[in-house]
Parts: sequence; structure tokens; C-alpha cells
Amino acid sequence: MPHQSLVDLDDAVLAGRSSDGDVRAFEVLIRRYTPLLRAYARRTLGSTDELDDVVQETFITAWGRLDALEDGAKVKSWLMRILSRKCIDRIRARRDHDDVTELEVAAPRDDAPDRVAEARSREEALETALAELPEQQRRCWLMKEVLEYRYEDIAEELDLPVSTVRGLLSRARKNMIRLMEAWR
Amino acid sequence: MTPHDDELGADLRPDGTGAADARAASAAETHPDELRLDALEPEDLDGHSIDELADYLDAGMLPADPSIDDSAACQNALAAIIRLRQSSLGSLEAAAAQEPPADESWIGGVLANISLEARAGRDVPLRAESPTERPVMTEGAIRSLVRSAGDVVPGVVIARCSLDGDVVRLGAPVRVTVELAVRAGSPIPDAADRVRSAVAAVLAEQTDLVVEAVDVRVRDLLPALPDDHGSTHDHGSTHDQDGA
Repeated sequence: MPHQSLVDLDDAVLAGRSSDGDVRAFEVLIRRYTPLLRAYARRTLGSTDELDDVVQETFITAWGRLDALEDGAKVKSWLMRILSRKCIDRIRARRDHDDVTELEVAAPRDDAPDRVAEARSREEALETALAELPEQQRRCWLMKEVLEYRYEDIAEELDLPVSTVRGLLSRARKNMIRLMEAWR
Repeated sequence: MTPHDDELGADLRPDGTGAADARAASAAETHPDELRLDALEPEDLDGHSIDELADYLDAGMLPADPSIDDSAACQNALAAIIRLRQSSLGSLEAAAAQEPPADESWIGGVLANISLEARAGRDVPLRAESPTERPVMTEGAIRSLVRSAGDVVPGVVIARCSLDGDVVRLGAPVRVTVELAVRAGSPIPDAADRVRSAVAAVLAEQTDLVVEAVDVRVRDLLPALPDDHGSTHDHGSTHDQDGA
């Protein structure tokens, strides 16, 4: 029986087949979205050797919960949301194991605009600007602007009051706007 | 307000009739170079905070707020927020392109760790050969049969399959719903008919389900396969389409 090639199928078909238990379809989704998930995890966790693990956990969790995915066409953002949760778990675990108080810079460094200005593309500039944000601001920013979470969702995921999330996002927005203005 | 701001204001006079999208789009295009770096406090934004503006954008700029729509400073700040949003996902995609493709042995590790039982579904009884036997086939295995039978129909890829009915009871009537994606260029009614009969045949042959009906829904149209992949489908197309 000839095996259909599944690589060019759209997300909805692949997610449907995966939900029905088709491992080959799920494998195509893994290949398709691993780089994106790694990039997202890298932004949230930094470049650590945990990236492979956290992406692997994401796919394993996703496989078990495919029933909950109502619209297969949205599998990409659904995977990113699962990943985001895994990343937050990792950050919490780090804190628990680490007694050292996190030294968090409250604002981008003074030379941050110069770094952003050197970027060769808008995407690279944004990447650089994002890297300059204090960790909590960056996390909130990603959840709001990339995952399209509501303030309440972010607060729940991060276990913070909504007012804190609003404050962090406010600072993140101003920092990002200022930094990105340096690029143009 | 500086004379410079007045100039901007004159250029920016909105017509007041545009939809939120049009206003957002025009905000994105207005004077991208004119946002002052320190102008992000309410006193610089005609009394609005940058967060109010972001929330206004999230709400589709509805209900329309003239104190924002008619403010040059707000329009410029909105434009900056829109540009940021547009590049946020774009930059993630660009970063993804810099990541190496998934490592083969790592993929193997992921697949080894997923639980097939998680997607196996209900246990569907088969007719026993002897009174002591209780043979079953999982719903997942039945769906797999359906996929295999449907996928060999030329131009068809099975998207989903569901079994509706009391499948855990032997002899209960069951309705099978099969969702398809069809390649462009394949005649859809013909493809649907072939899938329906292929699925009915494989279920009759390999299960003891009492199939009341096989419903076929075409839910996706796929691009035609490039020629060099066509050979996998030639097995099917050599059988003359003699249906109907």
C-alpha cells in the first residue's frame, strides 16, 4: 500500500490525523514546528541545554491533549501556548533550586539603543530589543504580543496580580517602542 | 503643543467615517519617523497612556474615541504599537529560520515517549470465536484502517474519522464520519464515492461493526501534487473510474 506523503499537508489535516492517532502525521508537525518552538523557548529561557527537553515535553503533552484542540488549523499557536507553560514551569523550578536572588536589571542597558540600531533587519532589531528587556517584562510581552493572551491569562499563568502584569507590560511597551525607534 | 505637532495634526485629520481597520491602517502609515522618544507619557499623548492606546487597539479601536482618533500624538503612538506587533511574530519566525531543523534522533526520542494508548480511544468488541474470548479492536486501530483505505483513493487524504454510536456494544449501529482533503484537480463527488465504498469495504472485512452509514465530508482542498510525486497515485488511477 503506497504511503501518502504527508509533508505538504496543512495543519488542520495533520492535527486531525494526529488526534486520530496517526503518529506519522504528528511527526510532520514535530518537524514543522520544532524550530519555531525552540526559538520561542530560547527567548523565554535563554540559550540553555533545556531547550530540547522543553520542546520534547511540549509535543508529548500536546499528543495527549489533542482532543482539546478544537480547531486543528490553530495547532501552531496551541503548541506555543503549551510550550509557554512548560517554560514558566522551568523558570519556577530554577527559582526553587536557586537561593540566589535574581539580579534583574530594571531597564535596558544604556547602550541598548546602539545595539538595536546596528541590526541589519527589523526582525533582528526586535530580537535585540527583546533581549534587552528585563526578564519579566520580556515574558509578559511575548505572552501578550505573540501568544495573544489577555491580561488575566498572563496573570494566571505567571501567578501574578493583574495589576502587576499591566505594570510590566506598560514598561515593556515603552521600552520596546523606544528601543525600536533607535533602529529606524 | 509645538508647531511641529500642529503640522502633523493637519495631515492627520481623520474623516471620521472610516472603519476601525482603516483607521488602524492609516495610523500605521502616518509619519513613522515623527514619534518623539520621550513622548510616551499621558502629557505627551493628549492625556492618554500608552497602555490605553494598546487596549484601544486590542478592542478594534471600538467604540471610536475621537480624543484618540483626532490626536496626532496618539495616532503616532498607535502606529508605533502596530509596527511592533507586526514585527513581533515576524521576528520569531525569522529566529525560527535560524534554528537547525529538528534532529532525527531527537524526533525518535519524542515519538518513543508519546503514549499510543492516549489516542487509542474506546475498545470496540469483535465477534468471539469461543465463549471464553473477548476480542477487541481499539477505536484508534479502526481509524487507522479507515485512513489506510481512504488514503489510497487517488487525490484523497483522510483528515479525520469518527465513529458515532455505542461502539463498545457488539452489534450496535454505528455511523462513520470521514473528513477528507482532496487534491485540486480530482473530481470531488467521485473521490467521495470511492472513499465511502473503500471505507465501508474495509470495515466490513476487518471489523464486526454494524455500519449504518459512512458520511463523507470534504473539508479541505489541497494543492495538486507536483508531477514527480504522481507515481504513488498511479496505482490507483490505473483502475478505471467506472463508478456511477
